[in-house]
Amino acid sequence: MTRVSVPVGVAAAILLSLAATASGVAQTLRIAMTAADIPTTSGIPNNGGEGYRFLGFPAFDGLVDWDFTHPNQIAGLTPGLATAWKIDPADHTRWVFTLRQGVKFTDGTDVTADAIVWNLRRLYDDKSPQFDPAASAIVRSFVNMVGHWQKVDDRTVAIYTKSPFSFFPYMVPNILIVSPTEWEKSGHSWTEFAKHPAGTGPFQITQVAPGQFAELTRNPNYWDKTRIPKLEKMIVIPMPEPTTRLAALRSGEVDWIEVPPPDAIPSLKAAGFQISLWPYPHVWPYIYKVTDGSPFADQRVRQALNYAIDRDTIVKFLNGTAKPAYGVYPPDNPYFGAPELRYGYDPAKAKALLKAAGFGPDHPVKAKIMISTAGSGQMLPLPMNEIIQQQVRPLGFDLQFDVVEWGTMLVAKRSAPEAPASHGDDALNNSLGFADPAVMFRYFSKASFSPDGINWGHFYDPKVDELLTKAQQSFDPKTQAEFLAQAHGLVVDDAAWLFIVHDLNPRALSPKVKGFQPAQSWYQDFTHVTVE
Amino acid sequence: MARFVAARLLHTVLILFGVSLVAFALIHMIPGNPLDILLPPEAPKSVVDRLRSEFGFDRPLYIQYLSWLGRVLRGNLGTSVFTGREVTHELLRALGNTLVIAVPAAVLGFGLGIALGAAAAFNYGKATDRLISAFVILGLSVPHFWLAIVLVILFAVEWNLLPAEGMGGTGGFPTSWDSLRYLILPVLTLSMIPMGVVGRMVRSTVLEILGNEFPTALRAKGLMPRRIVFHVLKNAAPPTLAVMGLQLGYLLGGSILVETVFNWPGCGQFMNLAIFRRDIPVLQGTVLVLASFFVLINLVVDLVQALIDPRMRR
Amino acid sequence: MADITALQPAATAADAPRGAAGRSYWATVGERLRRDRLTVAVGGVVLAIVALAVFAPWVATHDPLDGSVLRRLQPIGTPGYFLGTDETGRDIWSRLVYGGRLSLFCGMTPVLLATAFGGVLGLVAGIGGRLLNSLVMRVVDVFYAFPSVLLAIAICGVIGAGIANTILSLTVVFIPPIVRVTESLTRQVKSRDFVEAARASAAPMHAIIRHQVVPNVLGGILVYATSLVGISIILSAGLSFLGLGVTPPDPEWGLMLNALRQSIFVSPIVAALPGVAIVVTSLCFNLLADGLRSAMDIKLPT
Repeated sequence: MTRVSVPVGVAAAILLSLAATASGVAQTLRIAMTAADIPTTSGIPNNGGEGYRFLGFPAFDGLVDWDFTHPNQIAGLTPGLATAWKIDPADHTRWVFTLRQGVKFTDGTDVTADAIVWNLRRLYDDKSPQFDPAASAIVRSFVNMVGHWQKVDDRTVAIYTKSPFSFFPYMVPNILIVSPTEWEKSGHSWTEFAKHPAGTGPFQITQVAPGQFAELTRNPNYWDKTRIPKLEKMIVIPMPEPTTRLAALRSGEVDWIEVPPPDAIPSLKAAGFQISLWPYPHVWPYIYKVTDGSPFADQRVRQALNYAIDRDTIVKFLNGTAKPAYGVYPPDNPYFGAPELRYGYDPAKAKALLKAAGFGPDHPVKAKIMISTAGSGQMLPLPMNEIIQQQVRPLGFDLQFDVVEWGTMLVAKRSAPEAPASHGDDALNNSLGFADPAVMFRYFSKASFSPDGINWGHFYDPKVDELLTKAQQSFDPKTQAEFLAQAHGLVVDDAAWLFIVHDLNPRALSPKVKGFQPAQSWYQDFTHVTVE
Repeated sequence: MARFVAARLLHTVLILFGVSLVAFALIHMIPGNPLDILLPPEAPKSVVDRLRSEFGFDRPLYIQYLSWLGRVLRGNLGTSVFTGREVTHELLRALGNTLVIAVPAAVLGFGLGIALGAAAAFNYGKATDRLISAFVILGLSVPHFWLAIVLVILFAVEWNLLPAEGMGGTGGFPTSWDSLRYLILPVLTLSMIPMGVVGRMVRSTVLEILGNEFPTALRAKGLMPRRIVFHVLKNAAPPTLAVMGLQLGYLLGGSILVETVFNWPGCGQFMNLAIFRRDIPVLQGTVLVLASFFVLINLVVDLVQALIDPRMRR
Repeated sequence: MADITALQPAATAADAPRGAAGRSYWATVGERLRRDRLTVAVGGVVLAIVALAVFAPWVATHDPLDGSVLRRLQPIGTPGYFLGTDETGRDIWSRLVYGGRLSLFCGMTPVLLATAFGGVLGLVAGIGGRLLNSLVMRVVDVFYAFPSVLLAIAICGVIGAGIANTILSLTVVFIPPIVRVTESLTRQVKSRDFVEAARASAAPMHAIIRHQVVPNVLGGILVYATSLVGISIILSAGLSFLGLGVTPPDPEWGLMLNALRQSIFVSPIVAALPGVAIVVTSLCFNLLADGLRSAMDIKLPT
């Protein structure tokens, strides 16, 4: 990688690690993100996954945290600022959290039950002085079931959900806790607070240069002694252009890039860079519109398309940075269930199903798919879709694309399929996650029909609905899992979506970066990473 | 002259008003509002709509426009929906960053353009003219975002001589050789089109002047060749200045493509981000400020033209 | 973004005394053109490019939409795909010639439309009195400031992405500078002696415009507009780069350049081919414009 004189390389490196120690040994990790701007640093980051990944969980904790220590399964939950939580057996809407003692914010003040309540009011009480409309909206889009709360005593806080919701603990990590004192010292302004935030995380956000980078520094007083960072500093830089990220990595300006262009992977490997791939709860589908009049209203057509695409070729195009998807969950996931149909590339089956539905190569299914030019988790939408289009054409599918930019797709996704914002399209190519068990309800239940929820295609199966509702109200993990698995099996058989691939969270690291073990999560643990 | 200036200044106010109206209309033609992008995809429409109300984006358009106008007249350009920071502050920062590369690019581009254009014209008909002209036109013909990528690959990745992207973490004006290195590739890329445009303009205008009798007459009067060149260039100035003014305007607005490839946090990226994020307050404010620059530059150019060539007065 | 006012037109028909050698101005221009070998050659290249685009179905070797991931990013000289294949395995040569249709169309149409509309506006502003001039020029000033991206995405919101969006946005972007140049030219011509003479002879206004003003302005505008074609192609490539222009899988040089830019590390030469097409086309149009201009400026020796 460095074929050039050492002084030039070091000068470039030191420039970005502003607080490099005088001795020149800088345990600084410089990361290039795909985000176009620095996510907000007030404790509730905007900018989706990357926001929480770099400026959320590294610097703040919730009552419950994600567990990064079991990389061979989807990241579960682990105690955060609460050491334990349980449902009140007498009232299934009441969750009781026992707080961890002795934790301090990075400004030195204590994490008390009052502080927790203060943070809840920031997000849910629009009459409170600390109410933050933008942060509130971001959190409430996931965690909309919080009703009210109660400080039981100095060690205990209770939170009430509006109705019994067994998956509530999975929502709690999104509520990151910040220091009320720091906010007050910032003149009661969240914008000011964001310039020097105080949280409880393994890192502390120490500098934000708008438009350029954000710097996090190790918090030596972190309450979890097994996760005190080995790094001195972490610098995150927004770099939305993939070729720029690649050039920055190859020239040594950064040590780590998110989402390298798949085509560059062989040459990166040859040059000694490390490619990190690991499954995580991501799926890249077409969300079918199943309402009357749509070409996908017919189940046979939906299933036929699932047999018509060659997922392995797509994976090959992506140079192995994805794996085939046969459902919302991958087959090795406990919620996958036992669907009767196992999809894969089977042109004969596809043609047979199409024929039964009255279509064929000379009378193809005409469908318009909305695809985006970019977007969080969208991978490489244009070439991937072109490949699909090419693959299915000879089998009897005439797919046309409605190419929109990301904002337009978000608007469409939240609108009813017949609304003008959906452009009359028959499917949406929109990637989705499944980090918490409540997702199936959000994607497939009648209550989640857009525009009220994000079941854009208006998929509805009464059996599935019943199973998902029962899962939400069952507080025994085993029965929850059974209901969800059954529901998933039905969803797969009914071909609610075209299941295409799961992304494998690709990142490219300089050979100097050691100690990173990816977790099966949209978020990651940076505390064991070192830079030589 | 004073009347001319006063009239044009009055026009400027009207123009800016028109600009703000058209910008407002354009921005609201774009589907979606900032909350659609700000909130995660999982956010249902009801949450989006509620936040829209809180930010005031659901009020009738003319009310939104008027209240924005009111604030602007008091000097407040509003705050960004995404960062919560003041538009004025953010815009000045982005503009400053753009100036860091726009001004050197203008100087380099104009300087090269004038020199090359004049050299080509004075050597009209010879191979030198053809060669120089081809080079100058090349500056106009190569897609500059593509050139940027190629330059980065060559100088940063392959030869590791210059940085691949960014400003070097210092922001503002470069204070050391290290910071200057970050400027080299962006400035080079940005200077291509101004060089091409100004070069062609100068060549064309000088040719026209050379075709007139007066250089011959000047020669007959015994003027040294160097003084003739000076006279010719002086006469070529008005149209060249007009073109330079336009180019400066475009450079100040920031080249979205170049700034994207070089990850340069300037005005182009700022505007681009605001467009794709539907950050309405930022967009309105930025368009207004940039429009003012354009109009002012055009005004100065018209003034200078009128000073140099009385026939050009209106 | 890119610049617009690139040229000031040269001496025109007004400066050529008619009938000196029994020849009209335009015949002289044609004669000078024929003697300018570089311009003739460049003109030939332009014709060739246009011909390739027009006759694409006969010249292409494959279906431009037919691809296979198994043969993606093949190098130049691959049997059957002599210019290589793109990121989804489609033949580059075929996509280049078919792409020429869209690229040339997106390059020329906005210029034609803007010249028609802007030219008339500029004429009116140049001839009209101070009030009309101010009105037109100030309205035009309003539109100068708008970045083409903002326009494109706004129009996109109404009519969707695609060719219509590109054409409309670029036309709007080109109108202000064309108006400015036309107005400037018209004012210059208006103050010339022969126009004064015509007015003194009490000729009707519309006749003056038709016979004196327009012929002299037209030459200059045509030359100026030709030089805009190259810039138009580059701008529409830029719009595709941002996802606002032509949509896949349609072949268009700018879109191809955009799509291939990530492959620049794997197959740099193939990734550069659409760029070469753009450069050559733009170069030729610009050189053609220069040659036309030189031919029309008959004070200069050939």
